[in-house]
Amino acid sequence: MDFDLNEDQQAVLESVERLLAQHAGPARAVALNRAGDYDHDLHAALEAAGFNQIARDLARDDTLAGLEAALTVEAIARSGGVVAAAAQMLVAPALCERTIEGPVAICTVGELTQPTPVRFAAHARSLLVLDDGDAYLVSPAPGTFEPVRTSFGYPMGRLSEGASVEPDREGQALGAGAADTLRNWWRLGLAVEAVGTMDAALGHTVEYLRQRRQFGRTIGSFQAVQHRLSLCAIEVEASRWLTREAAFHNAQPEAVAAAAAYALQAADTLFTETHQLSGAIGFTCEFDLHVWSMRLLALRQELGGVGAARRALVEARWGAA
Amino acid sequence: MEFNWSPEDIEHRREIREFLDEELPDNWEEISQHGPGGDSQAAFSRQFCGRMAEKGWLTQHWPGEYGGRDCEPWRHSIVGEEMWAIGEPRGSQYMNVNWIGPAIMHYGTQAQKQLHLPKISAGDVLWCQGFSEPEAGSDLAALRTRAERIGDNYVINGSKIWTSYCNHADYIFLLVRTDPSSSRQQGISVLLVPMDTPGIEVREIPSVVGERYFHEVFFTDVTVPASVLLGEENNGWGVVNYALQFERIGAARYARAAVTLDRLAEVAAERGMLDDPIVVDRLGEARALCEAARVLVYKVIDLRAKDQPPTADTQLARVLSTTCDNAIGRLALEIFGPESREYASYADNNFRLAMTAGVAVGATEVQLNLIAARFLKLPRE
Ligand SMILES: Cc1cc2nc3c(=O)[nH]c(=O)nc-3n(C[C@H](O)[C@H](O)[C@H](O)COP(=O)(O)OP(=O)(O)OC[C@H]3O[C@@H](n4cnc5c(N)ncnc54)[C@H](O)[C@@H]3O)c2cc1C
Repeated sequence: MDFDLNEDQQAVLESVERLLAQHAGPARAVALNRAGDYDHDLHAALEAAGFNQIARDLARDDTLAGLEAALTVEAIARSGGVVAAAAQMLVAPALCERTIEGPVAICTVGELTQPTPVRFAAHARSLLVLDDGDAYLVSPAPGTFEPVRTSFGYPMGRLSEGASVEPDREGQALGAGAADTLRNWWRLGLAVEAVGTMDAALGHTVEYLRQRRQFGRTIGSFQAVQHRLSLCAIEVEASRWLTREAAFHNAQPEAVAAAAAYALQAADTLFTETHQLSGAIGFTCEFDLHVWSMRLLALRQELGGVGAARRALVEARWGAA
Repeated sequence: MEFNWSPEDIEHRREIREFLDEELPDNWEEISQHGPGGDSQAAFSRQFCGRMAEKGWLTQHWPGEYGGRDCEPWRHSIVGEEMWAIGEPRGSQYMNVNWIGPAIMHYGTQAQKQLHLPKISAGDVLWCQGFSEPEAGSDLAALRTRAERIGDNYVINGSKIWTSYCNHADYIFLLVRTDPSSSRQQGISVLLVPMDTPGIEVREIPSVVGERYFHEVFFTDVTVPASVLLGEENNGWGVVNYALQFERIGAARYARAAVTLDRLAEVAAERGMLDDPIVVDRLGEARALCEAARVLVYKVIDLRAKDQPPTADTQLARVLSTTCDNAIGRLALEIFGPESREYASYADNNFRLAMTAGVAVGATEVQLNLIAARFLKLPRE
């Protein structure tokens, strides 16, 4: 056990944070979100610096470097990066050895049969589809997904009318066990993204409440406010360490289910509390909170959210649900 | 950063479980139903800790010069988890080995070390902790119990309250005010007082938690030699802070909660309750909470293993550990339903042991204050 970064991990984190300081951040997220765009520049910069392949490049004895990839995704989420980092860095390498062309989006088959907005789908070159016991990969032709306007902080796309992504199942099915692999790494990715996003949302709120004065004192000095923020901090930290542990164990199902069950529940608390405690400014575009807070609600909607994670946890732990 | 147990640690956990299997009698659940302070458990702890001492495990985390094996805090945490999970057969002696012994090593005179440490490491002495007073609960620095230096003695007058385990204790780790003109943190000292000293009276405070759970301890002209002073006179606050720096997570509450939850899931399955999606949801939520508490406690153990000073991580871990204990205690009542109405039923026992978690060893709200100040750096005023 060791909760400190080792030298290699520290180097990874420092270099991704350097890159993010240059290519990401809330102002950029706001501009991209307004246009419904994907951050192709950031994606390319991450690709060029080798981060998209990090889980495989740092693999040892055929064991993926899940933790290093998760630390990277966590940092990208914290910076509000508008890239499909979790799908690219965590899910794709776990599913197949060859590189999957990015941007990568993920959805369930249900989100195609009853078309609903899917994160990153309008920009995806590759789409991973979970169909109960099956998983497959498709390369949607341009125009297959139409962009959808959303309040929830990520570019989204919906299957266009008349379009289809029926896979060539022979060629593109990902093989036995792929559905479980996809499910577990997807769920891990959601938890990791939630952690980075919650971290930033809480940090932004706390910073504001250290400054904002009412009744002749800083709002952050009121005990009623402090306790709520302290409880938020506990939820973020617990989510962080559960998720890192699950990533270290390369998405072992029980660990992932626990991390996601906890983190996605925490995401709800963090959304509610950071907005409530920020007051009216928190709802405006001039205050960056929304860059992270709105995303938390989108993350909670994927893969059955908290309820499915809890069911998966019960099943993994006690073999029944 | 890595999250693996070493093979030696895994082996140690196996050994401890095997040992518990052999040592705990068939009626252990009955013995332990009133918690570590109960009569039967206190008596059992002397025998049990003696056996642990023979194995060399009771104080294995202590330095070699005091009869320990210099084991890492991780190793000791395994013992803590396994013991607490099964109902703490060490009784109150977990306090001895966790912090009373180490405080004596750090601040004690040669004579104090010679008197106390061998007894503690042999597993045959019971201690209690005399801190809280009627007017000094969360605000411990308001304590008033007075120890007056008269010649070579201290004469103690005052009272302590909520004192766990004192009905069986041989010694009390006692906080007193030695400087009458002082207030707050200054002027407080620690005395190591034998409980059979004349003038000490223990009264049980009946409670809904269990038998012999709370006590008041009254001190009337209790005269002890000045040699019972631990550390410098009037520096008791420093001694206590040192002693308790990691003790806020001393009881592995999350581990007990997790074991209870496994049993609840088993019962729910047997009774066909898993067809109810609400029950499944509650079990999943509870399991995630146990895991969350565990991982935050591990973060603190990691700091300790690296000899780093404690941080507000301790408070984060403590709040979640008590939240988890409470939540699973209440869930037990729901899963067992009407059966839990009976005193000393499985759910009732678990519930009562858990219900005090948010208050004992410092109320949750006080921990939240500390998190706000130290972790979030929020302003005081
Ligand atoms: C099971 C159990 C075992 C115990 N064993 C021992 C023992 O062996 N030895 C010993 O010395 N003591 C023991 N205690 C006492 C324990 O340390 C105190 O109960 C605890 O410190 C709180 O003090 P209090 O009960 O007087 O609550 P109070 O200080 O009266 O506080 C009441 C409530 O007010 C709130 N509160 C208090 N201060 C603040 C604040 N600053 N900000 C916001 N809210 C606040 C909290 O919700 C708190 O629960 C034990 C207690 C329990 C429940």
